Amino acid sequence: MSEYKPAAPMTARRRGRRGVSPALRGERSVVRGLGVGLLWLVVAISIAALVWMVAQAFRDTRAILDDPWGVPASLDFGNFVRAWTVGDFAVATWNSLLTTVVSSVLTVAIAAPCAYYLSRVDNKLTRGLSLYFILGLGIPAQVILIPLFVMLNKVYLTDSIIGLNLVYIGVSMPFTVFLLTAFFRSLPLEMEEAAALDGTTAFGTFWRITLPLAKGGILTAFILQVISHWNETLLALTLLQSTEKYTLPVALISFVQQQTYSGADWGGLFAGLVMVVLPMLVIYVWLGRRLTEGLTLGMGK
Amino acid sequence: MSIGLKEPRAGKAAAQNTASRKPAGRKAPAQDRRPGSSIDVQRKKLLVPFVGPAFVLYTVLFIVPALGAVWISLHKWAGSGPMKFVGLDNYGRIFRDRLFLSSFGNTLLLLFVVGAAIFILAFAMTLVLRDMAGKKMVRNVIFFPHLINALVFGVLAGFIFNPGGMVNSLLAPFGVTDPPKWLAQDNIFPLIMVTLVCTTTGYFTTILMAGVDRIPPYYYEDCALAGASAFQRLRYVILPLTWDVFGTCAVLWTISSVKIFEIVWVFGGSSGAGVPPTQSWTAAVYTYVNAFSGQSTPAYGAATASAVLSLALISVLVVLLRRAMRRDAVEF
Repeated sequence: MSEYKPAAPMTARRRGRRGVSPALRGERSVVRGLGVGLLWLVVAISIAALVWMVAQAFRDTRAILDDPWGVPASLDFGNFVRAWTVGDFAVATWNSLLTTVVSSVLTVAIAAPCAYYLSRVDNKLTRGLSLYFILGLGIPAQVILIPLFVMLNKVYLTDSIIGLNLVYIGVSMPFTVFLLTAFFRSLPLEMEEAAALDGTTAFGTFWRITLPLAKGGILTAFILQVISHWNETLLALTLLQSTEKYTLPVALISFVQQQTYSGADWGGLFAGLVMVVLPMLVIYVWLGRRLTEGLTLGMGK
Repeated sequence: MSIGLKEPRAGKAAAQNTASRKPAGRKAPAQDRRPGSSIDVQRKKLLVPFVGPAFVLYTVLFIVPALGAVWISLHKWAGSGPMKFVGLDNYGRIFRDRLFLSSFGNTLLLLFVVGAAIFILAFAMTLVLRDMAGKKMVRNVIFFPHLINALVFGVLAGFIFNPGGMVNSLLAPFGVTDPPKWLAQDNIFPLIMVTLVCTTTGYFTTILMAGVDRIPPYYYEDCALAGASAFQRLRYVILPLTWDVFGTCAVLWTISSVKIFEIVWVFGGSSGAGVPPTQSWTAAVYTYVNAFSGQSTPAYGAATASAVLSLALISVLVVLLRRAMRRDAVEF
């Protein structure tokens, strides 16, 4: 596995490639043309599916079933209102929002100093610690599910948003520490050394030099946590039992399961799906490049 | 940020010490900084405040439960009441349990069959994407499904494959009057596999692309000069130079495929009792149902044994993958 290489030269290379080498654009075969066509088809279908889903959320169930290809006749928020009130999505959205933001902020706040230490001090202990953190990357959630439930039950933290937050923070440590360690390693050391020469303490260099330099990486780590905590389902499903504690995915599952008894309310269901997907779309459109770069940076190793 | 522990400002003298020891005008590269330099000494004191909180949280909420899982898997336990030590009995029992074997088989199907399909498609897409116009836009679009909760795909599939749903209405003009029962219990799992291929390929394409983009263009130019065919270029340039990225992707898929749960749980709108049909269970679903479904006495022992086996599967595969992928890293 090769070392992570900082992104800057990569993008420069990518940019420089266009136009420079005719060798790259030489071939025009049928297979290739077909492939390009297929790819655009995939893109078109993906976008259409997303638009379709949002459109259906504004139609009532009968209209959806009669003609699933139709477009909404008017901007009717009835589905959302019903999902919001009957499906308990209002509370669930609030819970999801709270859990996501709090746990993501704390995850990054706790992981960043740790990653900084592991990236700057190189000895047997830190190498061992890095390995210890990486270990967690390979442990699937279902392994810790039952013991976690038992443990939290003992201290009355099941069915509690605080408990869920704690779990999310603990579970996110391996990835965040791993990502930020790689990121801190890619930062130049000169500024820190200059600051140290000027008499800044070790903590001071971290707080006043490295953190401001690492803003981008930290934001990326934060957003990645927001995405994974917003979508996390299995742990929330296990740890939360009462409706007023549900997060959005759990509320969605219970909404789906209610339908088995009360008849399908596809309108409300589509509204629920949109509530789950739309925040992710907003984040992606807003910070998309940072995200893909962050993910591939973490994976470059 | 919460870490508020300020180190006493004892750095001044130490810092001057560094200054006098370092030859002026020579920047110390990251790797060969001398071990005794004072900023290092000072940094080392930050071990507890910096690493401590992360270490404690991670250990208590992740490592201890993981070890606890191994412990529980050696006991017969219904979640409350006494735990009875039974040794490896739970493992023997789940291996005699048809349900577990089919669930674990499904997990293996996801891991290998879906994995292979994803890789072939992702690699093909990468090759096409490599130098096509508008590749950034394509890449941005195909990456997005990775950010969506798999629940959404499960619910949507239920709508699309309904007997009166969209797929059948699409097929009708082609003379398919008797379409297969998509959501019959036996058909759900293959559908889940197809759905997963469709929704996951884009993510792996993005990662592979990052690897392919790193290849400097002069290699391709050299290929063109040497008259290499497209296949030769693939075989001798692209594959060797992206080999490590392939390894990473394989490890990633191994880890994430074993966790697959949500999409199975709601696929096609679930059946009456809220538990999906047993034919579509994965090992993760088996664990969850055995412990928390409330349908029968919780069997924590068997449930954790299944989870621990999944972990063992991951560990073995990751070790094997790392070994298989260990080639001379090509530096470029």
